[in-house]
Amino acid sequence: MIRRVALLTVLTVHLAAVTATTVNAKDAYIPILVPITGFIALEGTAQRNGAIQALENAPEGVTVTYEVSDTSTSPEVAVTALHRALERGKPVAAAASIFGTQMLAMAPLAQRAGVPLITVSGTAKLTELGNPYIFRFFPGDGVVKVAHARYAVEVLGAKRPALLYQTTSYGQSGQAQLAKILKDLGAPLVFEEALAPSAKDMLPALAKLRAAKPDVILLHLHSGPTALAIRQAREAGINLPVVAGSAMHQPSTAKLLSQAQLSGVCAESAASPISESDAKLVAFTREFRTRFHTEPDAFALAQYDGINMVLAALKDGANNAEQVRNWLASHTFEGLAMTYKSDGKGNMAHDALIVCYDGASLVPTIVKRYHNVDGAL
Amino acid sequence: MGASIPQLLVNGVALGAAYALIALGFVLVINAVGAVNFAQGDLVMAGGFVAVTITEYLTPWANDNLPDLAFIGPRASAVGLGLVILPLTMVVMAVLGLLFSALAYAPLRHRPPVSVFISTIAVGLILQHGANAVFGPEPRVGPPLVVDGNFALGPITLSIQQLSVIFAAGCLITGTGLLLSRSQLGRQLRAVAQDPEMAEAIGISAGHCIAITFALAVALAGSAGMLLSNQFFVAPSDGGLFMLKAYIAVTVGGWGRLDGAAFAALLIGVFEVMMAAFVSYVMAEALLYAGVLLVLLVRPSGLLRETIQRRT
Amino acid sequence: MKAGSLRNVGIMAALLIAPVAFALSAGGYEQRIMTLAGIYAIAVLGYQLIFGRLGALSLAQGSFFGIGAYTTGLLGIHLDWAFPASFLASLIIPAAIACIIAIPVLRLESHYFALATLGISQIALLVGVNWTEGTGGANGLYGVPPLRILGTALDSSEAMLVVVWCVLASAVLAFSCLVKGRAAHRLTLLREAPEAAVTAGIDIGARRLSLFVASAAFGGAAGALQAHSIGVVSPAVLEFQVMVSILAMTVIGGRGHPAGAILGAVLLVHLPEWFRFLEAHYLVAYGAALLVAVIIMPEGLAGLFRRWLVTQERWAPEPPRTSKPEVPTTLAVLHLVGLCKRYGGVVALDNVSITVVPGEILGLIGPNGSGKSTLINVASGLQTLDAGEIRLGNLDLTGMPAHGRARVGLSRTFQTPVQALGLSPLESVLAACPAGLDERRAERHAAACLSAAGLTAPAVPTTSLSPAEARRLDLARALASGPAVLLLDEPAAGLTPAERDDLACCLKHLTDSGLGLLLVDHTMDFLLPLADRVICLATGSVVAEGPPSMVARDPAAIAAYFGEPPP
Repeated sequence: MIRRVALLTVLTVHLAAVTATTVNAKDAYIPILVPITGFIALEGTAQRNGAIQALENAPEGVTVTYEVSDTSTSPEVAVTALHRALERGKPVAAAASIFGTQMLAMAPLAQRAGVPLITVSGTAKLTELGNPYIFRFFPGDGVVKVAHARYAVEVLGAKRPALLYQTTSYGQSGQAQLAKILKDLGAPLVFEEALAPSAKDMLPALAKLRAAKPDVILLHLHSGPTALAIRQAREAGINLPVVAGSAMHQPSTAKLLSQAQLSGVCAESAASPISESDAKLVAFTREFRTRFHTEPDAFALAQYDGINMVLAALKDGANNAEQVRNWLASHTFEGLAMTYKSDGKGNMAHDALIVCYDGASLVPTIVKRYHNVDGAL
Repeated sequence: MGASIPQLLVNGVALGAAYALIALGFVLVINAVGAVNFAQGDLVMAGGFVAVTITEYLTPWANDNLPDLAFIGPRASAVGLGLVILPLTMVVMAVLGLLFSALAYAPLRHRPPVSVFISTIAVGLILQHGANAVFGPEPRVGPPLVVDGNFALGPITLSIQQLSVIFAAGCLITGTGLLLSRSQLGRQLRAVAQDPEMAEAIGISAGHCIAITFALAVALAGSAGMLLSNQFFVAPSDGGLFMLKAYIAVTVGGWGRLDGAAFAALLIGVFEVMMAAFVSYVMAEALLYAGVLLVLLVRPSGLLRETIQRRT
Repeated sequence: MKAGSLRNVGIMAALLIAPVAFALSAGGYEQRIMTLAGIYAIAVLGYQLIFGRLGALSLAQGSFFGIGAYTTGLLGIHLDWAFPASFLASLIIPAAIACIIAIPVLRLESHYFALATLGISQIALLVGVNWTEGTGGANGLYGVPPLRILGTALDSSEAMLVVVWCVLASAVLAFSCLVKGRAAHRLTLLREAPEAAVTAGIDIGARRLSLFVASAAFGGAAGALQAHSIGVVSPAVLEFQVMVSILAMTVIGGRGHPAGAILGAVLLVHLPEWFRFLEAHYLVAYGAALLVAVIIMPEGLAGLFRRWLVTQERWAPEPPRTSKPEVPTTLAVLHLVGLCKRYGGVVALDNVSITVVPGEILGLIGPNGSGKSTLINVASGLQTLDAGEIRLGNLDLTGMPAHGRARVGLSRTFQTPVQALGLSPLESVLAACPAGLDERRAERHAAACLSAAGLTAPAVPTTSLSPAEARRLDLARALASGPAVLLLDEPAAGLTPAERDDLACCLKHLTDSGLGLLLVDHTMDFLLPLADRVICLATGSVVAEGPPSMVARDPAAIAAYFGEPPP
């Protein structure tokens, strides 16, 4: 009897609590809806950290409140998180998940509610929806994959590239882009294999790759699998140059490999904050390190820039979500990583770069910058 | 073919050996309490993180106090330190195993086995998200058992770690088998597993034995976690995959048989690697499940005859 | 009984209306969560059919959910199908797939069945992720059109909430129809005492198939609603995580009663949301709460309110006006001809032939290991024969499955009485009554069987029956299918002399109507006075046959027991 009464009380109190509280209506409310649990948690946490650093350094005269809500690994949780945010206050913008399918699920709801989503997701489809509330601050596959392919072919002189890619939305859309771009550049793929994120032993793939006699290895994998592939390739005696996806620029990925294994490895990315010597970036990196006890990567920096653009809009007089959206769609913003400007469809970032590891340090050097790759700036 | 069959076999056996350790712990719990431990994969992951943490504390101490140890690269790979870290990891995991049995099994002793499913699922969630909250989501690399490095043996490149994994797994599996079949403790554990009431009637404390079985099972899971974490890294969301492989191995090998589970786990490791090499990873996975279904169709009680009657 | 079922209906109605009313008054977020809870409740309801009622641990329910979602998504996007066509398709396609996989999979025992269903669900996930042309691959399907009813698109959260809970209400109705009355008792008997159920004429295979297919349809319906509610279908709906959620909701909610499905779904969907304020640690708190929930609620949430939810009927019927069973017994002769059975190298039965005529009590004796229990198992169909024939009257039973034999007139009892603890004695016997009888005749028949078996207090819970009463219940259940021949496996074991005499009297009465009995027992002063004829088995063959007094002095029989002929 007592158990039942206790249980009912707890249930009622919580049901009431869930619906009762809201945030202070005076401040601008910016919820952070990113995956901080599950297999995308690494990138999601970087998003969260970047957003928080921007919000904690809001410009003079702009007061913001923010909240972090996990979107986990499925679209339904993301939609629920957005619903919750919409109820807790009237957001002027929201930092949104890097995970493509979650963004696709949140997009219609954000459009109905009139809230711009600030994301770093690379999924191509996001900006093909005709949804004016999506703002992508990380260059899409149409930019980074061009840089990826062009570096391999034009700078490394690859004629027979091989590709290992992930069976996730990130991997599959990247593969589609790379295959097309490489063909157009006259160096079609001689080998490709899809790997699940849980694949541990890469030898089977590497064995088949070696048999195809490529001259460069392209990787489009998440962090752990990228490190695994490189390490196992080196251990199998495959010493070809490697041009990997954004995951390889992430400091957490580099930490998994030894300096010797990193020699000859390059990565595409939007930015590499730890490699930069520019004063503002150095300050950013130092503050990030102190605040979050981890190194920042391009995702954190992109999210930082995105939120800063929202804060700039607020400083410039935008009072509500609609005005913020219009500001984002029409202005150019000098972020730390690059200059951001909408191409009319929500793609804000148009630069990419290539970093390479020299085998003596875990901090990569920026070897080539590709500016305004899709011509939208 | 860019790699020889022997090379692929070695890889498959190394992977299978680690799977066998995971499956072994799984079977011990099934035999002892008749319930499937859904947290087995997360316990392996926890073992990996325990090993990583111990390494982080032990390496600076070792570098300061032990002479002439090479410090190679960003990971702790002082030669032979892994041989100390492994037993330490297993001890910590054994304590965790006692805690696990107290939380997930003891309060549900007299309930139908499905309650233990749910309690182990819950503890698995706690382990996974606890690790995510404490260590962060980045993958970590664990210490090698002896030292990093390869050497060539004819056409095959062997990594020292691979050999160490096979050797260590072999020792642990044999050791567990001997413990259970030859020692007095082992006899008591088996008695409790077969008939707890009868065992109590002759003076064996079923509660103690079950707790010890859990401690042993989790310690084995922890050892697998450490051995896997060097070659394959460890991240908080790794648990699900290991759980799946162990479950398949235990069921296909004949429910409740330690030798069947170990054998099936080895088969799975070799099958995965060979299939991925000759076809593709996606097909390898699909064929694994298709193969399992085929085995169940042809031999509905598993490859080896099951030794315990159904309790679930 | 009327009052009880009215109360049941009232409670279910309250459980269906209150959450909707609450959410409608609360706002978009709560509506969204409650919609999700309703969707999962439908899937859990389906799971209760296969797992809760039947006790089979299927791990494919999450996949049926996912397949339903993909069906709705693909039909809506590519073929412009709308509700109700796409919804019906999302019921039919998972059900069809369940039908196909059921054939090889359903005959597997518990954990093998679980593994087989797990394997199938993983294959479904692989297809979903990797078949980029068909399912969109890891990116999934985008742009699932919203639910349209009578032309209006329902894409507001209020509308979706109401629609989902209406579908849930129909699902609850469908569930009640599937497990109504004696069908529910049969399922409980099947789950808790499968051998007794099979030998009472319940076709395990058919039941499992129908419930498996039904559970798939429920899962598909839930998935279809999920696709409409978020407009996106990604491989996440096929992941094992969905299955784990459904399993947890079933257990926490309480797996026996539809109220449990609703309570479990509502609680477990809300729980992580309540902990969101913990940010990074919220799922740790969720795990801890789940652990606490399963520990403090042994029968789930529905079990907490069990006293209000009538789950068992415990009324006592009026004493029967006659003890004539409603199911007429046909007289038939049982011929067991040339039975052979080996276990590996051990010969259990070696060319054994036995005949039981109507009205006779045939005693079967023999030392341990002589094959007596094997004979009964083989005759009743629980074990297969290597060679030989079994005929009952004109019917050839040799290839017939056990439940078929029970239906044509061959019943048995068990050495250790098997009981379904979740059923009262009356319900146990009702479960064994032939399905064709209507409720009232079945009740009269069950009561008659109970009194014929000598069990005088049928309203007592099964757990408090004494060993002697448990045997009588076993006997009553064996009588319920209206057998021509009854095989009794050591019915006097463990009884006091007074109880043995009672039992002997009772068995004698049973043969008055022409029932033939094959009686296996060790207790000679029970069996010898009772039997008309006695057969002695030793190491699988008949060594003596004849009137009791003769067999008792037969040198071969004595040698079988004592190892040497009498001096």
